[in-house]
Amino acid sequence: MEHQQRWRPTVNEREFIERALQSDLRVDGRRPFDFRRLKILFGREDGSAEVQLGDTRVMGYATAQLVQPYKDRPNEGSLAIFTEFSPMADPAFEPGRPGESAIELGRVIDRGLRESRAVDMESLCVVAGKHVWSIRVDLHILDNGGNLIDAANIAALAALSTFRRPECTVGGEDGQQVTIHDPEVRDPLPLTIHHLPIAVTFAYFGEGNIMVIDPTYKEEAVMGGRMTATINSNGDVCAIQKAGGEGVMSSVIMQCLRIASVKAADITSKIKNEVSTYTSAKALQKVKRLPATVPQKDNVPDVAMKESTDGALERQSTKASSDVRQISKEPLSIVKDNKQEDVEPMSTECNPEVKSKPRFTVGEPDETQGAISPKSLKDAVKPKHKRKKKQHNKN
Amino acid sequence: MEESRAGGRNPNQLRPFSCTRNPLERAHGSARWSQGDTIVLAAVYGPKPGTRKGENPEKASIEVVWKPMIGQIGKQEKEYEMTLKRTLQSICLLTVHPNTTTSVILQVVGNDGSLLPCAINACCAALVFAGIPLKHLAVAIGCGVLEDGEVILDTTKAEEQQLKSFAHLVFPNSRKSASSKAPNQKEEDSERGLITSITHGVMSEDDYFSCIERGLAASSRISDFMRTTLQKQAPGDV
Repeated sequence: MEHQQRWRPTVNEREFIERALQSDLRVDGRRPFDFRRLKILFGREDGSAEVQLGDTRVMGYATAQLVQPYKDRPNEGSLAIFTEFSPMADPAFEPGRPGESAIELGRVIDRGLRESRAVDMESLCVVAGKHVWSIRVDLHILDNGGNLIDAANIAALAALSTFRRPECTVGGEDGQQVTIHDPEVRDPLPLTIHHLPIAVTFAYFGEGNIMVIDPTYKEEAVMGGRMTATINSNGDVCAIQKAGGEGVMSSVIMQCLRIASVKAADITSKIKNEVSTYTSAKALQKVKRLPATVPQKDNVPDVAMKESTDGALERQSTKASSDVRQISKEPLSIVKDNKQEDVEPMSTECNPEVKSKPRFTVGEPDETQGAISPKSLKDAVKPKHKRKKKQHNKN
Repeated sequence: MEESRAGGRNPNQLRPFSCTRNPLERAHGSARWSQGDTIVLAAVYGPKPGTRKGENPEKASIEVVWKPMIGQIGKQEKEYEMTLKRTLQSICLLTVHPNTTTSVILQVVGNDGSLLPCAINACCAALVFAGIPLKHLAVAIGCGVLEDGEVILDTTKAEEQQLKSFAHLVFPNSRKSASSKAPNQKEEDSERGLITSITHGVMSEDDYFSCIERGLAASSRISDFMRTTLQKQAPGDV
């Protein structure tokens, strides 16, 4: 029962893909050295990111814990990458024990990130020899549309770039006691990331003559061999992985590396843009949450503005069809609720922005004011569906 | 006292929820259900041939995999899997495809309380999007009991940690009568029954029954939402 689900291409599909590649055409209309569209979305918590590379979706989640350091490196923290090939992504993945490709993916990303010293480990030291921060990145593969290594790598980088570790101070009588401060009390700190190593995967067809970047799932099933090059925007090669497959001439490999460095620069700038948009939006939110004696009518523009930044935060692009479906979805939910008469005093109401802001706020004057007059807020606080439409119209 | 709910909700107010249809490409059906900051992504792979050992081959069997945010699968996750499996078994028409296995995989994307109800709602939506035949929908709600016996709906993580007791309840969806006369809500509600109930902490019988009552009323709201969203694109997928 287990291996029946592995998808095998038919002879027709294989020939079609190979023959199209001989004329430099790919099945999804891309040119050989084009990446699919990359979308990076960030979650509510610091350090959670979801990356969509075409059909492939990977979610990355970074967390930190205070542990004892390794004996031979008492000054350094540690970074560990855990990859989960969820059966959600592909029926061929089994739950539980990771298969070969899961382990390979984990190792390639690990080599690229950890061994190239992309994240500064020494800044994670709190008390040398006793307490250091250990960063753990969990990568969940949600949808396997091909080229998992690249997508997972970007997810790991995005998660690490937006991750904030709690600030801690060393004190106490012997200078060994560590107090970890609550994020409410002291702002958590970002990690020091020196460079972003980007993985670029090449697939080889037709005895090593034809190569393409970012293979889709079907191309992966038909390809003869694959190579992943992890390069940063400075042109430093952090890792190369070519495990078996067809033999490829060294000149072709050099050409691939050159192409990879160009692509890496491109993707690095995209990641940096998205991360900076997210962090500036978050910083803006923090400023707005400071409690002030703001009269209710000033609340209205505040909340409306919060929404637009939130919209920018969560929906980085509105072109994907899934977003379109989402847009069409939600109006019915909330509109219908509004129209229904509240027999009992409850509703799935649109105080959404007022309530959902407060990861960091509890019981602010803003929100209680919001709850009092739902009618005026309903006009001002556009429900979720309208917010998305606004974004849609803007674009 | 009642206003002290974080976020300014009153006791009967649910967080805004949303459902996305088929965000994943490979899965046969998938749904992303979010209630406030609690977000669960559910994927369904339709009937595969064969059942595992120990399962009844005369019926379809359902396999649930729960993936938490931070990768270790422990007892809590196994318990969730078992609860979900039994709940879904009671809503699916198991005799339509005997000797098959339907896999439901859940990924927790965000956890801010009421995780199990959110997951059940997500699974139910994913099953519908995959086209698995169901008897009725499963609508889940989390209720908490305050110290004065007041019941609050859709608890957040902070509330769950502070409350003396809370319950996760799953009801079948409310029925819509084919005739246009207004349904008599009281009668219908009392016949709906309860599919699953998981409680944490100690609560008195009266508190439990008032949880059920409030939960039932809330579930009709959620089931209306489900009905509209699950129905909307069935003819001809706009």
